[in-house]
Amino acid sequence: MFESISTEGDGENRMTVKCRKEAVITMLSFLKKTGFDHLALISCVDRLNDNVLELVYILSSYGGDVAMQKLNILLKTTIPRENPQFYTATEIFGNASPYERELHELYGILFRGHPRLTPLFLEREYDIPPFRKDFDTRKYVKDVFDQIPFVDDKKGRT
Amino acid sequence: MRELELYFGPQHLGMVGNFSITLQVEGDRIVKATANPGFLHRGFEKLMEQRTWIQNFPLVCRINVVEPDHMELMYAMAVEKLAGIEVPERAQFIRSIYLELARVGSHLFGLWAYANMLGFDTVANWAMYHRDLILDLFEELTGGRVYHIYLWPGGVRRDFPEGFEERIRSTLHTIGSCVPDYDDTFFHNRLFYERAHGVGKLSREDACRMGAVGQVLRATGMKKDIRKTEPYAAYDQVDWEIPVRTDGDAYSRIWVVRDEMIESVHMIFKLLDKLPKGEAYQRIPNPFKWKIPESEVYVRCESSRGELGLYLVSDGGDKPCRAHFRTPSYSHGLTILEKALENESIADVGNIMISLYITAPEIDR
Repeated sequence: MFESISTEGDGENRMTVKCRKEAVITMLSFLKKTGFDHLALISCVDRLNDNVLELVYILSSYGGDVAMQKLNILLKTTIPRENPQFYTATEIFGNASPYERELHELYGILFRGHPRLTPLFLEREYDIPPFRKDFDTRKYVKDVFDQIPFVDDKKGRT
Repeated sequence: MRELELYFGPQHLGMVGNFSITLQVEGDRIVKATANPGFLHRGFEKLMEQRTWIQNFPLVCRINVVEPDHMELMYAMAVEKLAGIEVPERAQFIRSIYLELARVGSHLFGLWAYANMLGFDTVANWAMYHRDLILDLFEELTGGRVYHIYLWPGGVRRDFPEGFEERIRSTLHTIGSCVPDYDDTFFHNRLFYERAHGVGKLSREDACRMGAVGQVLRATGMKKDIRKTEPYAAYDQVDWEIPVRTDGDAYSRIWVVRDEMIESVHMIFKLLDKLPKGEAYQRIPNPFKWKIPESEVYVRCESSRGELGLYLVSDGGDKPCRAHFRTPSYSHGLTILEKALENESIADVGNIMISLYITAPEIDR
């Protein structure tokens, strides 16, 4: 499970840790115990060429010495684009819940074990989750909103 | 007693901004609160993927209406790091002065909302007037009052006009001379204490567990500020203090805001005294042909609400591949608010919400 973990620093207080998806939740709770107890962001990048979604957890620390407070850890993993599923981090970080809800509706990732995976921002149903790279915003806007007639047309006046 | 469901906002008189909370109430006690964002979701981050690096500047500032300047800073800093652009020293100082002015303006706006909510209309009008004086400065410097589009990769869009430093000083003296009035009428007022003390209390453990930043965290006694831990612009060039309170309630949070404003004004005077001569911007490549090599970066700064971050990814093209803003109101509005409202009275919903400094556009993006 932990064999393929790689770390990389950029010399400017950012460290990238890559690991397999099975190890992420364990890594998160390990990093929290080590002192990186502030979850700044959970983000996702759609890598269309590699056919994967890249999940990024950005952590920093509340306490610790100056060097530790400066450091941000970017924990990364990849999951397949088709039927993406992952495990929730809500048990570890109290503020993970809305981030996961956001990724669920914008990228279509199902976070297993999440207590409240309800819609956050969107009001419509989408065939392709709207933040994926193959979702064409311009085409969608044209298709949906051009169909709505003007108020004057409805009344029979042109 | 029977439980009722109450919709608080977005068309509620006590609601500031386009945000809504669903309250489960028993009598006038709140049993459970559910935050309901999304009224301002415009998909900015998706739009950013379809515009060139420079075209995104007029877009990012519109993410937060109250305080657009830190959004500009985040995007400019991220692009600078990705493209390896250095910022001249004078531009760093101008950035700090500009951002501190923005912070004072934003805090005055917050004070307006809070005082207005408590019924201190006089104080609210003073705060709005003083914010307008700062907007006048921005108008002279950038041409815009609310959205400035002033920060730029490699510096700022233009240098200070002639005599502008003096005008900053005189405006800040005008505002600073009213601090005793603010104190007498509002901050030392018994009514403010009675309404705010012990309301929406957060312990330090809860605040850390739920990802609090900014004055919500500083009101629980934790001395944490990105300007100190990871200094950007010219914040490491001057001495300043982080104001802290220990109670963690609405009263402490508003006092931290007041102290921070005063500290910011002092900081602007110190920065103006040290302002070096030189260039205010660095030349950047032709924006129409600008491609940034494949890389990614996470930058963060201290906005007037707390830690603001941007995760920006480039795939080697002329547009960003992915941009994701980490905004302070996100955790405050969706996690902490729900916890802080439990077992409070309906009359205190606005009180807690505004003291947590939640702005809806920042959450929805």
